[in-house]
Amino acid sequence: MSLPAQGSPVWGRLANGGLSRLQTSHLGTQMLMKRLELSPAPASAKATEIYNYFVKWERSLANEVAQLNRL
Amino acid sequence: MKSPSSIVSEGGAINGLLPVDTVVDLIKAGASLSLAGRKAALDRLPAGNWIAGTSPYFMTAQGGRIVDDDVLFVTDLGAIGTVTFATYEAHELERISGEAPDNGLALTIIPGGSACHTEFAQNAANYPMAFMRPTVGWISGHDLEKEGHTPWVYDGQVAKAFPDRVAVAQVTLPDGESPVIEIVNIFAPDGGDVIHFEETGFTPEWCTVNGTRQRFCDYVLARGREGCDLPLVGNYGGAHVNASLKTIDTETGTVELFAPVFPGVDYAFAAPVADYAGDFRQALAEHPTAGTVWSCNCILNFMFGKLEGVAIGGAAGPVTFGEIAYQLLNQTMVVLRKE
Repeated sequence: MSLPAQGSPVWGRLANGGLSRLQTSHLGTQMLMKRLELSPAPASAKATEIYNYFVKWERSLANEVAQLNRL
Repeated sequence: MKSPSSIVSEGGAINGLLPVDTVVDLIKAGASLSLAGRKAALDRLPAGNWIAGTSPYFMTAQGGRIVDDDVLFVTDLGAIGTVTFATYEAHELERISGEAPDNGLALTIIPGGSACHTEFAQNAANYPMAFMRPTVGWISGHDLEKEGHTPWVYDGQVAKAFPDRVAVAQVTLPDGESPVIEIVNIFAPDGGDVIHFEETGFTPEWCTVNGTRQRFCDYVLARGREGCDLPLVGNYGGAHVNASLKTIDTETGTVELFAPVFPGVDYAFAAPVADYAGDFRQALAEHPTAGTVWSCNCILNFMFGKLEGVAIGGAAGPVTFGEIAYQLLNQTMVVLRKE
């Protein structure tokens, strides 16, 4: 599955709590999930950060990318 | 093709103990190295392309070792990628990830007990690019049996030791390769109480246990955890991140930790471990090994697990006074692989 485009509503859903439902054993992703959960940053900023993170690590996150549309 | 500064042995890149004289030769040949050992050994090295931290404790293929002044642990960074070096003061630590390469990592050594240690422990997860340009590394230490010994890090470019400065090797990986930062943690929550803390810090006075507020010291004593061998285990998106107990002063009611706790994180005490070495062996046997280039393991695992002379498998590396995988960890093995 390819990564949703930056304008996809997927990223906003993840930023508004969907990311906490991601099933992953990828350490960096797990720690980022916790950091974003605790962050007071606006959802739009979180959505951008999540998108950029998945673009950077897409090759290592095949299982996680496959979950994105149902979170 | 290997970097010109890569010294590659017959079986692959160097990641192990070598005589100090050999390390001097490697430095003079221009190798890019990450080093660990006793201060007396590190003080003998010439300026060159290296960083280092103090620790006399190591895990090797043959088992845990406490070394003398005649050897150093050497990791050939030139075999991993292209390397540049930097040092940072406590107020500059967000530059570690900020200045790390886009495709690579920042191999970082921080002096134990320093202001840098505290700053990094409390804020690393919020540094710019912290999860885009990973930081991996360790907290330096000292021989616990020798009075007056303290933790140091070295800027090899000037062959100088610092008690409160962070030494970093910025490693750029070749195109097509990515860093993989993983942990091997034999501890898991005991499945009982869920603990929350009100403030970030190394000495939490108050906690909430299953919704009831109480002094953390009272809770630790009530649980019979004053032996400090079992860490708190924090839940970070499913990852188990330990914060280990350092001291308990029952007169003042103060509990000191080796890593800070944070509000908003679910903590629990770890379940007891019956066979330290066996649990590590099993975990490492199930752990991917392809592309492993570096690791470190915690002094508390070395001590409580009685790992001197005991082999557990996995990559060799320094035994450390705190581990770094994006942020500070305790009682954990960190493994760096390339894929």
